[in-house]
Amino acid sequence: MNLEWRLAWRNVWRNPRRTGLTVSATVFAVGLLVLMSALSTGMWEKIIDDSVSMGSGHVTLTGPNYLEERTLEEFTYLDAPLAARLEENPAVAGFAPRVNAFGLLSEADVTRGVMVIGVDPAAERTVSSLPDRIESGRFLEKGKTREIVLGGRLAEILGVKIGDQVLLYSVAYSLESAYDLFSVAGIMRLPNPSLDRGLALVSLADAQAFFVYGDRISEVAIRASEASASTALAEQLGSSLDPEKIEAHAWPEVMPDLAQTVVIDKLGMYMMLAILVIVVAFGIFNTILMAVLERKREFGVVLALGLRPRAIFRIVYFESILLAGVGLMLGLLVAIPGVLYLQANPIPLTNSEEMAAAFAMVGSDPVIYAKLIPENPIFSGLTILLVALLAAFYPAVRASRGKPVDVLRSL
Amino acid sequence: MLSVIRLAWRNVGRNPRRTGIVVTAVAVGLSGTLLSMSILSGMMFQIVDNAIKTDLGHLQIHAQGFNKDPEIGLLLENNGAPEIQAIQAEAGIQNWAPRIRGEGLVTSPSASVGVRVIGVDPEAEAQVSMVADSIVEGGYFDQKKRVVLGEGLARRLGAELGDKIVLSAQDLSGDMTGTALRVGGIFRTPSAELDRSTVFLELASAANLFAMGDGISEIVIVGRSRDAILGTQERLSAALPSREIQRWDELQPLLASILSVMDQMAAGLYLIIFVAMSFGIANVLLMAIYERIREIGILLAVGLSRTRLVAMVICESLFVTLLGLVAGFLLALLILYTLSGGIDMSLWAESLASFGMGTRIFPVLTLEDFTIPTTVALLTALLASAWPALRAVRLRPAEAVRHD
Repeated sequence: MNLEWRLAWRNVWRNPRRTGLTVSATVFAVGLLVLMSALSTGMWEKIIDDSVSMGSGHVTLTGPNYLEERTLEEFTYLDAPLAARLEENPAVAGFAPRVNAFGLLSEADVTRGVMVIGVDPAAERTVSSLPDRIESGRFLEKGKTREIVLGGRLAEILGVKIGDQVLLYSVAYSLESAYDLFSVAGIMRLPNPSLDRGLALVSLADAQAFFVYGDRISEVAIRASEASASTALAEQLGSSLDPEKIEAHAWPEVMPDLAQTVVIDKLGMYMMLAILVIVVAFGIFNTILMAVLERKREFGVVLALGLRPRAIFRIVYFESILLAGVGLMLGLLVAIPGVLYLQANPIPLTNSEEMAAAFAMVGSDPVIYAKLIPENPIFSGLTILLVALLAAFYPAVRASRGKPVDVLRSL
Repeated sequence: MLSVIRLAWRNVGRNPRRTGIVVTAVAVGLSGTLLSMSILSGMMFQIVDNAIKTDLGHLQIHAQGFNKDPEIGLLLENNGAPEIQAIQAEAGIQNWAPRIRGEGLVTSPSASVGVRVIGVDPEAEAQVSMVADSIVEGGYFDQKKRVVLGEGLARRLGAELGDKIVLSAQDLSGDMTGTALRVGGIFRTPSAELDRSTVFLELASAANLFAMGDGISEIVIVGRSRDAILGTQERLSAALPSREIQRWDELQPLLASILSVMDQMAAGLYLIIFVAMSFGIANVLLMAIYERIREIGILLAVGLSRTRLVAMVICESLFVTLLGLVAGFLLALLILYTLSGGIDMSLWAESLASFGMGTRIFPVLTLEDFTIPTTVALLTALLASAWPALRAVRLRPAEAVRHD
């Protein structure tokens, strides 16, 4: 046994060119797998982050049934003990109470249906990117009343500028008609066209007064310290809350469309990865096979000298394992720092303005992100190891077969 | 030169196992590449196709400025008679349907929700959109004075079949108007957004609600294919200079953006897969040629010129690669043929039923998908054989013959 490993190890170094080619096949395979999964992880983290920061956060606390109905009827409260608990929780990076409702916004004879969100100006900054999207004017401020911030397209359609008055009309919680004048404090430029055309923000206090909502709210949007821990955070919060009054939802429940897009894309990615694994597996297999068949003569000689076929099989198999092991290590050594570098220095797609505009539309920046999570090099490494173990089997069988005489004559 | 090619061809047959290995390397590489490209294209194709079938159509005709600001006052007068005339002169148009499109507020006893209000001609609409075929409860305008709404919206309103809802909106003259209608049908399409926020009613009821008279908002057109519609768009634009004739991607820039972002991502993936394929090919070719340095030395020693020798090696590699490409293409076609019923994704995710893509992915292979990987494979073969061949012929014959 020991002798066979030693022979295998010596064989590895006996022909550096052949070894180089075989090892490089494995290095390449590992590198490509790690790179591809890191790019996919990075892309989706970015898209999810962009979406939650313009939506309802990583975790959303709502009244029962709010997600299904989304009307003023389903409300909850953010009382002091709950606020204190969220404040103390290290997994919570920020939280903001909101009132979400629908209203008609008019200026002169133009009327548009809009989504009205009542936000706490200070708290909103800890959760969402909306305050950073102000293009002219300013965001809502604490202490100022009857102010409104509009999406850019909406302001254009209504034909209003900073300081103008708009009339908001809706049906209040009390089912009475509600209308009031608000003055435009700021105009946002939102990448998502339907938000840009249909979103209006007022202060939480104004919204509660307008909709006769008391201190009720529609939701508490929570930003998690770690995006990947959203579901765990929702479960943790949910277990400590009274389910009759308040529910905790992670973003996949709140934005099922996005979650499903991610699922579909991940399935697509797994298919691509599977195909890639097959392609690189054949790369490794072919290389090992060719390297072994090239040495037919050598095996003929050792067979003639009396080495048993079994021993040859083992030596060749061990050789392949050693080669794959070396390739695997080298591959990870190259790929991990490479991906970490990409993670620290995202690649900007500056080649076309059209592309920049396209990314802006889906609410993202034209940048390729990579994100390395431990699962991905581990998975890639194990896959390639398994592939190599399988790929080496047949060549080793071939090497050990055949009669010495035929083999020696066959060149 | 001809003799070199003949020699190369013979060499291909002389060592079947070497040829076999290179052919499998190329075939697996190419078919893997083609397969992944066709799955990605299939996913993108399906997203667009669903958008076209649920709401967009291929083309829409509007009054100037409607797409920028869909205002109810921007209408096609006279029930769109001149537009319809132009449409009927077009052979490439399969179906078309008039619509009224506005915004309003739906109120049920328990909630009120802002919605898109779309007035449709039920028979014509059934030819251009899948909504009529997506009814899960009730019918599609089989009774008068009914509305058809999405499952998501019905749930938000707490409304069931036969319930009364009130639809209020601002009419053409700017007055608030309203009408009470019963829920006649509930639909479920792959587009969650449509299901959540759209109310369909009959064209006449919509015209009444918005006080449109004989005006309509848009005509939606479905042609033979997405590509064929480009010419139709040009001709209609020329015939109707005062109208906006827009394609699906101009109407839904977000969708077009998603597609181009996906395209960009796909390009990255293709790059990775190409690299994997090229590497597999290059590796076996390199090894196959290094293994033959002795043979090359002998040929040099018996007096074959270096140029001819290099040409022979390259020709050989190209022959073998071509064989591999043919095999790979056939293999890909075979796999695609077995997948022609679509790849069922519902096994992995039940929730996909409600998603804009459906639960099956149908791979799509275009000619372009084929030419690029083929070119990449041939170039790789050229480089991976020229380099070792050039190195080998530079050795002195005596050294080459002794080479291990």
